[in-house]
Amino acid sequence: MKIVKASLALALGILASAGVASSTLAAEGPGTEKHDSYRFVVVPKVVHPWFDKVNQGAQQAAAAIKAQTGSDVEIQYSAPQSANVAQQNEIIERAISTRPDGIIVDLLDPSGNRTVLEEAQEQGIPITLFDSINPEGMNLTTVGSDFCEQAEMAANRLIELLDGKGKVAIMMGVPTAPNHAERARCAQAVFDAHEGIEVVATGVDNDDINTAQQQASAIMQANPDLDGWVASDAAGPVGIGQAIKEADKVGKVQLVGLDDLSQMLVLIKEGVADSSSASRPTMQGYWSVINMWQLATGAITPNHIDTGNVMITPDNVDSFME
Amino acid sequence: MGEAGMLRKAMGFMVSNPLSGVVGVLALIVVVASLLSENFLNSYNLVIIARSLAFIGMITIAQSMLMILGELDLSLGAIGGFCGVIGGILMVKLGLNPWLAFALCLVIGALFGLLNGLLVTLLRLPSLVLTIGMAGVYGGLNLVITKGVAITGIPADIGFLGSGKWAGLPVPFWIMLLFLVVACFITLKTPFGRYMYAVGSNLSAARMLGIRADRVRLGVFAFAGFLAALAGMLMVARLGSAQPSIGDSWVLGPIAASVIGGVPTTGGIGTPLGAIFGAAIIGVIENVIVLLGISPYWQSMVSGAIVVIAISLDSISRRYFKRD
Repeated sequence: MKIVKASLALALGILASAGVASSTLAAEGPGTEKHDSYRFVVVPKVVHPWFDKVNQGAQQAAAAIKAQTGSDVEIQYSAPQSANVAQQNEIIERAISTRPDGIIVDLLDPSGNRTVLEEAQEQGIPITLFDSINPEGMNLTTVGSDFCEQAEMAANRLIELLDGKGKVAIMMGVPTAPNHAERARCAQAVFDAHEGIEVVATGVDNDDINTAQQQASAIMQANPDLDGWVASDAAGPVGIGQAIKEADKVGKVQLVGLDDLSQMLVLIKEGVADSSSASRPTMQGYWSVINMWQLATGAITPNHIDTGNVMITPDNVDSFME
Repeated sequence: MGEAGMLRKAMGFMVSNPLSGVVGVLALIVVVASLLSENFLNSYNLVIIARSLAFIGMITIAQSMLMILGELDLSLGAIGGFCGVIGGILMVKLGLNPWLAFALCLVIGALFGLLNGLLVTLLRLPSLVLTIGMAGVYGGLNLVITKGVAITGIPADIGFLGSGKWAGLPVPFWIMLLFLVVACFITLKTPFGRYMYAVGSNLSAARMLGIRADRVRLGVFAFAGFLAALAGMLMVARLGSAQPSIGDSWVLGPIAASVIGGVPTTGGIGTPLGAIFGAAIIGVIENVIVLLGISPYWQSMVSGAIVVIAISLDSISRRYFKRD
């Protein structure tokens, strides 16, 4: 009888614990972990106004999470002083040593950054990438837009402006930056596919407005019959626009810019540039933080969040200036 | 010996030792950093400080030896980057044994350094101006060859040299320490080292004394090129790819570190050991301003100001204790 009672008690115990376990599982599903505070470190490629917009978006997301959940979110923005992969790795390593809840990075070079990303993972620190691609064999969530599509949008717009015929130039950004190189390659491919379009020059501005202005002035001197410009980086079209103004060629040389720096928007307002094919840095910062927060709550996040590209024209430029 | 006697002896050592100022400043910065940031003294952070010091340290050793001679080589970073790219091509594109490629690149780096030295000594050109030009040549060749694109697929065999650890510290740090010992031995314990100080103090007087000054200068330029190539190749091993941008940030830091460590640009005094302490000061400052989350727009200003304060404190203590 005792054996029967003991067996019954054991069976009831197992059933009860199974019930408890199943109810715990229900409460501990993906995205149900809650913390009172989070600290995320944002590491861009370099100190640059484009990344300030990313930081702005990250801060907006932090405020949104606080408003919705009551949890404090601290965003620590830590940018390398120059676009140098070794320097960026050091910044990421220093971020790892502060044990944040996550690191959000725009990789300067996926292969060169790989070792420190692995170090972060070994230390149990989640990572989200923005504006960059995964290093080979890694599967981190990436947030951003299609660089090639962005360049193709700009190149096609310029071809439309020139009625499919004319001499154009491409301004490269930093030759070692994969996204700049990809944009230049994709713009070149679009131009090559149009018989009436001839690429007569390629400048290198190293993502610097003054260098872009000097390069653009020299190229327009050497090619007085140049009809239009596209660029591969955010600083490039600002410098080109200044060079067009200086050379008194507004309206004679068309410019389709890139991204939405405030100077770029002013050039569109002034009529110096026709338009700009822009990625959305604020949105990239915003969704990177949201993704990081979701990872911290135990949610499974997507492989890629596409923030898309948008064409800024005189018709919609005011909405970007707000 | 009583406590008072020991204290007097310790004070006497500090007063007479030219390194005590820079070591004192470093100790002060470490204490302040550990008070300001709870993460500063964690083992992971100390390892990353050591690793970062390893690379910039090798260039600092090289630059400090040149500065003892009264020379400068602003192309050391470019030599490091270019040798890294050459190493990448030898290993990945030409399939050469990675160890052989590594060794070849060190020889090539020494030859680049020797070329700089030859141009300085034969053409009697100021090394500052000449090496600015040579930095453009090496950096330009680097871009011509790579088109700005990194060479990936570096064999994992040499990865240990850049990313590995031995006795808890990064392998590059141990390599830097080894060459620091070699550099200190050369400068402080050999006739060649004494000639370096003589040439740096007064080139004409050194020549009158029969010192083959140009040979001494060529030797140091070649050794500096060798160290730059070593730093570049270790960085390639660390990154697993040959980045054209390697060495871009190795230009001014090592000169500042050497000056902080008591090696003036006018030559004739100082040691590579002092320069390494100077590099450690800069490294710790750069580390802690990131740990503290200081805005990137303020970082250069803050680190620059602390470096100026560090130099000033050392200079004041030198004058006060008359240690030079």
